[in-house]
Amino acid sequence: MPQSAEKILDHAPLFREPEYRQMLAEKKLNFECPHQDQVVTDQREFTETWEYREKNFAREALVINPAKACQPLGAVFAATGFERTMPFVHGSQGCVAYYRSHLSRHFKEPASAVSSSMTEDAAVFGGLKNMVDGLANTYQLYDPKMIAVSTTCMAEVIGDDLHSFIENAKEEGSVPRDFDVPFAHTPAFVGSHIDGYDGTVKGILEHFWKGQERTEARGTINIIPGFDGFCVGNNRELKRLLDLMGVSYTFIQDASDQFDTPSDGEYRMYDGGTKIQDVRNALNAEATLSLQHYNTRKTLEYCEEVGQATASFHYPLGVQATDEFLVEVSAISGKEIPEAIRLERGRLVDAMADSQSWLHGKKYALYGDPDFVHAMARFIMETGGEPTHCLATNGTKAWEDQMKELLASSPFGKEAQVWAGKDLWAMRSLLFTEPVDLLIGNSYGKYLERDTGTPLIRLMFPIFDRHHHHRFALMGYQGGLRVLTTILDKIFDKLDRETSETGVTDYSYDLTR
Amino acid sequence: MSSLNAKIQDVFNEPACENNRGKDAKARKKGCSKPLTPGAAAGGCAFDGAKIVLQPITDVAHLVHAPLACEGNSWDNRGTASSGPTLWRTSFTTDVTELDVMMGQGERKLFKAIREIKEAYAPPAIFVYSTCVTALIGDDIEAVCKRAAEKFDLPVVPVNAPGFVGSKNLGNKLAGEALLDHVIGTAEPDDAGPYDINILGEFNLSGEFWLVKPLFDRLGIRVRASIPGDARYLDVASAHRARATMIVCSTALINLARKMEQRWDIPFFEGSFYGITDTSEALRQISRLLVKKGADPEILGRTEALIAEEEAIAWKKLAAYRPRLEGKRVLLNTGGVKSWSVVHALMEIGIEIVGTSVKKSTPEDKERIKKILKDENHMFEAMAPRELYAMLSKHEADIMLSGGRTQFIALKAKVPWLDINQERHQPYAGYDGMVELVRQIDLAIHNPIWRQVREPPPWECRTAVEDEPPSSKSKTATVQGFKKFAGTTADDFGEC
Repeated sequence: MPQSAEKILDHAPLFREPEYRQMLAEKKLNFECPHQDQVVTDQREFTETWEYREKNFAREALVINPAKACQPLGAVFAATGFERTMPFVHGSQGCVAYYRSHLSRHFKEPASAVSSSMTEDAAVFGGLKNMVDGLANTYQLYDPKMIAVSTTCMAEVIGDDLHSFIENAKEEGSVPRDFDVPFAHTPAFVGSHIDGYDGTVKGILEHFWKGQERTEARGTINIIPGFDGFCVGNNRELKRLLDLMGVSYTFIQDASDQFDTPSDGEYRMYDGGTKIQDVRNALNAEATLSLQHYNTRKTLEYCEEVGQATASFHYPLGVQATDEFLVEVSAISGKEIPEAIRLERGRLVDAMADSQSWLHGKKYALYGDPDFVHAMARFIMETGGEPTHCLATNGTKAWEDQMKELLASSPFGKEAQVWAGKDLWAMRSLLFTEPVDLLIGNSYGKYLERDTGTPLIRLMFPIFDRHHHHRFALMGYQGGLRVLTTILDKIFDKLDRETSETGVTDYSYDLTR
Repeated sequence: MSSLNAKIQDVFNEPACENNRGKDAKARKKGCSKPLTPGAAAGGCAFDGAKIVLQPITDVAHLVHAPLACEGNSWDNRGTASSGPTLWRTSFTTDVTELDVMMGQGERKLFKAIREIKEAYAPPAIFVYSTCVTALIGDDIEAVCKRAAEKFDLPVVPVNAPGFVGSKNLGNKLAGEALLDHVIGTAEPDDAGPYDINILGEFNLSGEFWLVKPLFDRLGIRVRASIPGDARYLDVASAHRARATMIVCSTALINLARKMEQRWDIPFFEGSFYGITDTSEALRQISRLLVKKGADPEILGRTEALIAEEEAIAWKKLAAYRPRLEGKRVLLNTGGVKSWSVVHALMEIGIEIVGTSVKKSTPEDKERIKKILKDENHMFEAMAPRELYAMLSKHEADIMLSGGRTQFIALKAKVPWLDINQERHQPYAGYDGMVELVRQIDLAIHNPIWRQVREPPPWECRTAVEDEPPSSKSKTATVQGFKKFAGTTADDFGEC
């Protein structure tokens, strides 16, 4: 055998050794009844055609490689952004294991969440007992300050009523009467993770604000970031900007510390997050601003109901979007935007001007959450690029209309197309039939990169196969610099690769770009 | 050093240079290099100039006899392109150290370095460059090269242009002298023919000569040697068998062209591949010179046919840009031939030239510019960075075309900029190159970032912050750049 104690091969080269190749080839031949290579090749090539694209887009029932997650994932993420809060998902425990691994693989941090572990008998008789036991155990085992309850499909299908269940559990003494157990129904068969986020944040605000007297504190602002895989970098960057302005604000739902705990010998099941008392006081804020409109539609409605002014943004990234955000904050808070921020803005504009010739006319395919795609399309057009394909599996008709409006506002959006509700297998056809220079998305885009040869830039949750990107901000002027650099690096790396063949293409393998 | 002094005097006394002819004997002796002003920003040295001219000879090992920095700082700093060999991009230096200087070991080290290159790379030739330090300590590179050439049976060419002897332009010329003394005429081609030409001063930046070469191929004209762009040593060594020479960058290699005419009776003319009419004119002139030297006159007709065909295509392609670029104002801040040859094509599609520098242009260049522009006021010698900045920040131009060193003056004055000198990344020569240049101007002017660059942050133009809703577009007029430009480090503008 090729593996020996003297020189241990990693599995990647090991299975390329002749013994393993032969073994795998024989398995294929003898047990898999494979099609002939030519048939496979023909079929693969067929999937690259316009004809296939039309069939692909005519799909009605089947979704292939969706670029969205389910409501409870958003709910769990939302819950982790509050002080000592344990996300509790009422339903089957397998789902919850997925949310934990999803968050953990992205943030490279532990992700705690519990479930009520419903089984077949719970499905038949209802999950009340699971709720009662579950809340009691969670309270005893993990010492939370708050338990935020959401649901999986199983609980939703049998119609469990969270409100009465939680009341019953409190009656039975699972948790103290005055212990905070906000909740939200988050069925996965409706909407996506961004709606689960919305419902959970709304549920938490309702829990603390309902029936309370509101005395408006002029000039104070609540900020709701929305579901954001880059919350670690983004939230800290936004707080820095708000502090520079001297704004009085509360970040509602802030998972930046929870998903970035230091290695200092202490395991933190809970870290950071919005203080419970701050959530209570946030009722008095003059305004609530959402950084991601489609993540907070219901939450903002509720904020308006209690009398707050509201405004929402689409992931403020790049020059104009950040301008709008800061101007709004300035208008509400009455605080001026200081010179330091003006300089940061100038530096981003300067950097974009320095590099404009490399970005001008580049074509992009974008996918991800609706607000992110809106932000990226806008930034790309600011750099003179064309957002040729803008796709959001969880994008709605309203989003589609808004995207079209955005694209129509610039000559660089003239050729661009919006694909609401489409999946990544549809994106594959788009990339083959109407190719672009760069693909912006998440780790799942790597299969598209492999199949179509379109270089992938990872700027969207989840990023499993690259480390620490989420530690750097994408929002604000500083974030714009980061996004700009990331795009440019990809362009230059590709150019270097394409010009590196000695004596053949290296006439433009330039030292200075 | 005395031979170097004589060489410099000889180079200064260039009869083909109109400037020089106009001087009296005393002024001529002083030379044409402008005296450097201590304390003022300056461009490159003679070594840099020599290396720039010779480095693009691609299969040669270029060995810099110096402390590390001379080669280290100039390693691979030009975007000239090779169609094959890569040896010219490999950095060879003797890395002279303190001990070498004190003990006088420079020559021995150089000799060993030549041997090591020979053994490791076996190149067709090695060029050895002297520099300030090795010249000051008295290393005799000519003797070392001579000895090494005999010992290793390989051309070893001394390039005696240490930095302190003068400007970059002087270095260009000294490089030409090195080729005359040691390279050109040392090999006899077995295929010399009546359609062989040389191109001098063509650097093949971004491979742009490859946009021109197919035109020659179609006419049956062979480029014996393009010096130095994408050249091979043997091509240069047998360049003396060409029938005509076109010189592209006159200030760099005029002495080489004239002396080749003197020695081998190769007539030359000065032309340019920048711009459509200039490319055509260059093709015509070459054909005419070849016919004068005995080629079949039918080539003249074929040349005209080719010109007519190519011009028609190019003008058609350019016309597409007219609606987008008509009335746009261009400031050309470069030197030499580009100042007039590009002007014409730009004006043809309705671009207005608000100024062009004539820093390195000959009186003949200036005459042509005058004729094309019909207004001398648009011509300026070198413009100081401060004036340039003032002009740009008053928005007197929509774009500046220049070399990399003035780009930041434009960018900080909020004006788009396009690199048309050696660091650019697009080929601009020939008919297709002109179309590419116009395309790049179009892209640069219409990039959306300029709106951001010119407009202040939206909060600065708001009177009452509380009353206005946020808006993506600021409604006030562009605020002029009010900060004075502080740095004046960009004196050395155009280069060819």
